[in-house]
Amino acid sequence: MQAEKQTVSEEQLVVFELAGETYGVEIATVHEIIRMQDITDIPRTPEFVEGVINLRGRIIPVIDLRKRFGLGVAEQTQSSRIIVVEVGGVTVGMIVDSVSEVLRLPANNIEPPPAVISGVDAAYLRGVGKMDDQLIILLELSKVLEKEEKKQLQQESFQEVAATQE
Amino acid sequence: MSSFDMSQYLNVFMDEAEEQLEIMDDGFIKLEQSGEDPDLLNRIFRAAHTLKGASASMGFTNMAELTHDMENVLDKLRQGEVSISQGLVDILLECLDTLEEMKQEITANGNDLAIEISKLAGKLKASTEQSEDQAAEIDEEKSEEPEEVAPSEENVESAIKAAEMDLTEVEKNLIQSADIKGYYVYRIIVELNLDCQMKSVRAYLVFNNLEDYGEIIKTVPTTEEIEDEKFDRSFEIYLVTEEDTDKILNIVKSISEIADVKVSQVFLDGEKPAGIKGPVQSVEDYQNPVKKDADKPDSMPQSGAKVPKKQISQTVRVDVERLENLMNLVGELVIDRTRLTDVGDSVRGKLGTDDLVEDMEEITVHVGRVTSELQEEIMKARMLPIEQVFKRFPRMVRDLAKKAGKDIEFVVEGEETELDRTVIEEIGDPLIHLLRNSLDHGIETSAEERLEKGKPAKGLVKLNAFHEENQIVITVSDDGRGINTAKLREKAVKKGLISQDAASRMSQKEAINLIFYPGFSMAKKISDVSGRGVGMDIVRTHIEKINGIIDIDSKVDRGTTFTIKLPLTLAINRSLLVKVRENVLAIPLVNVVEILHVEIDRIKTMHSHEVTVVRGNVLPLFSLSKVLGWQSDEDKRTKLPVVVAGISDKRVGFVVDSLMGEQEIVIKPLGDYLGQISGLAGATIMGDGRVALILDVRGLVAKTEVRSGYEQAN
Repeated sequence: MQAEKQTVSEEQLVVFELAGETYGVEIATVHEIIRMQDITDIPRTPEFVEGVINLRGRIIPVIDLRKRFGLGVAEQTQSSRIIVVEVGGVTVGMIVDSVSEVLRLPANNIEPPPAVISGVDAAYLRGVGKMDDQLIILLELSKVLEKEEKKQLQQESFQEVAATQE
Repeated sequence: MSSFDMSQYLNVFMDEAEEQLEIMDDGFIKLEQSGEDPDLLNRIFRAAHTLKGASASMGFTNMAELTHDMENVLDKLRQGEVSISQGLVDILLECLDTLEEMKQEITANGNDLAIEISKLAGKLKASTEQSEDQAAEIDEEKSEEPEEVAPSEENVESAIKAAEMDLTEVEKNLIQSADIKGYYVYRIIVELNLDCQMKSVRAYLVFNNLEDYGEIIKTVPTTEEIEDEKFDRSFEIYLVTEEDTDKILNIVKSISEIADVKVSQVFLDGEKPAGIKGPVQSVEDYQNPVKKDADKPDSMPQSGAKVPKKQISQTVRVDVERLENLMNLVGELVIDRTRLTDVGDSVRGKLGTDDLVEDMEEITVHVGRVTSELQEEIMKARMLPIEQVFKRFPRMVRDLAKKAGKDIEFVVEGEETELDRTVIEEIGDPLIHLLRNSLDHGIETSAEERLEKGKPAKGLVKLNAFHEENQIVITVSDDGRGINTAKLREKAVKKGLISQDAASRMSQKEAINLIFYPGFSMAKKISDVSGRGVGMDIVRTHIEKINGIIDIDSKVDRGTTFTIKLPLTLAINRSLLVKVRENVLAIPLVNVVEILHVEIDRIKTMHSHEVTVVRGNVLPLFSLSKVLGWQSDEDKRTKLPVVVAGISDKRVGFVVDSLMGEQEIVIKPLGDYLGQISGLAGATIMGDGRVALILDVRGLVAKTEVRSGYEQAN
């Protein structure tokens, strides 16, 4: 991914809102954006995993990005959306507050991420883009959807479950 | 059984071998990185064991020997007698390379005899510092590389081109494919003595002797004419073989009343000269192998009939992947059919009786019918008679019985029973294990022992397959010793698998099922037949992997019967739908024993655990919601719907919120991101488009065991 970026002078981003901040993911990773729908709860998964949905015959897991980043729970609204992304062969739906636009961002407007930004760990960030007066937090999706971390979280929730059973 | 017949399941064997080699390859590397990991070692060990069994039953002795030796080393690793080192991994990997070579050799020549294994066996043994005299045995097995051809004798004509001869396209094709596989094609001109009395008999002898070394693809004049003695003094034979010209000359010359023999090699235009073996073709090509070494020559050489004529066939070979894809698409259709019906009902509810609605319903019904038929047809296209698997057993049983010195009658029934090819692929290994088990442990060692017990001297092993409702039932039975449960209990306690207390509390049935415990084996010594305790464990895992059930029925001195019940297909599954906390869950019907409505006051507590009594048996009860890890509200109902699930002999009752009925569902994976979630086998899409989770009953039952065990310990 890194190599590609250097040759392209601008990036196309899908821009969305999450807990009052503006985030962006590369358009190439976005499969589609769908409205909220019935999500089937899956037991024994980390809290941020909302469940699975039926996307035209495929079973797709859905995560709540707010919960993923620990940004607090919010009511789902009419503007809530599921962004279906595909990273490294894994397809996942991410619940966001709203999707605002598709944006072209010149590559030299992107700066490395500060250590902590609005509560989201820098490890999940690829950089910060500046567009006019707007700051767009660019997500490193491969990190956000990382499996190792997921496993660890799963383990923890397992222990929780075990604890509640005792 | 001739080598030709073996080729039918050679493909299956090759795929299997590939898979096991991959597991080992991956495992050894990980082993080197992570050191001893019991799970990993078990996995590798099973792969080696499976490959050993499969190669032995196919008659690939070197491969079986090598895997057996590897297994010995792995077993020592498992027992902690040897520790893992880089050197050891190197040797093990070298073994894998050799196994890979054998695989290629088998593809090319139909056997693995050309691969040298004694050196490796020595290394393996040295690595564990054990010196048994196994390596010496292996030495005997080694065979030499076939020598290059040196056409030298006067009778050997210079090579001729196929174009110069009168050959049909079919024959040219045969020559070409033989050449690619590294075989030689010879034109042999045989001239009989002037005073030869019975020309056709001489000719027959020539055919017969040559067919021991290769395949005759054409004769001039035709075989029929030669049989009718419609030829002068000489005739021509086109032979595909691995032997060199000298050998062929000698074979023909050894027959009396032959005046002269001329052997010349045949090439197609533009072909490389012989002696250079061409690249090995895909395994696919092996379906029509050039008959190389027939141990038993056929009664009458009918070379004409043996040539696989290329004619326009009524069958088409289809890539398995295509069939899988079709099956998936039909799965989608099945879902949409259900949805269409649901939507139709809503539309009728909204619009009432209306011409348009009626039209739509008519179409819906028709689409439904067509979909069902389509589904059935595609299912059938994937069906194969179980004969495919069964056919290789008689030979195996015979060989094993001979080895063990037992007189055994082997009866096979129901070979024509058809089942899905995915199931066929999975069922071979478990059946091998079960048959070996019956032969090795079941049937008594001596005829006297049997006679004393009032049984015929000859042991009986029976393999049967039949349809029962929507399932395939396969039974493997013997009239041998039966399972001695007292010994089983003793052994299980000794091995530390269960406590003395638990052993004495076990029912007869539970005790019999001890043989499915990992690491359990009743064999006193290690043979290549069975007896390392992986066998039965593998059998159960394999069968449950394909949603099957295995059951044992055994009476001491009367015999043992293993009953396997399998679904017709793996892609579509009949399930019971239940509701738990607004979630719809699907329980595969194969695992559902019965449905009960239990009055709340009939639920008792035993060891701080809820149970009820059903027909005199204690049935443990669990809230499905809790077992899955969901919180559940307090139950205020007086009557609880309970789904009784069964895994082998275990019965567990799951309390659900409500029952929704039975439905055909298409199994879909949950995907990489979520990975394996304990208790879930996947998901399916319902008629209304919502997702329902499919329960992994085996996993759930295992979980309940852990929990009840934990609670009891407290």
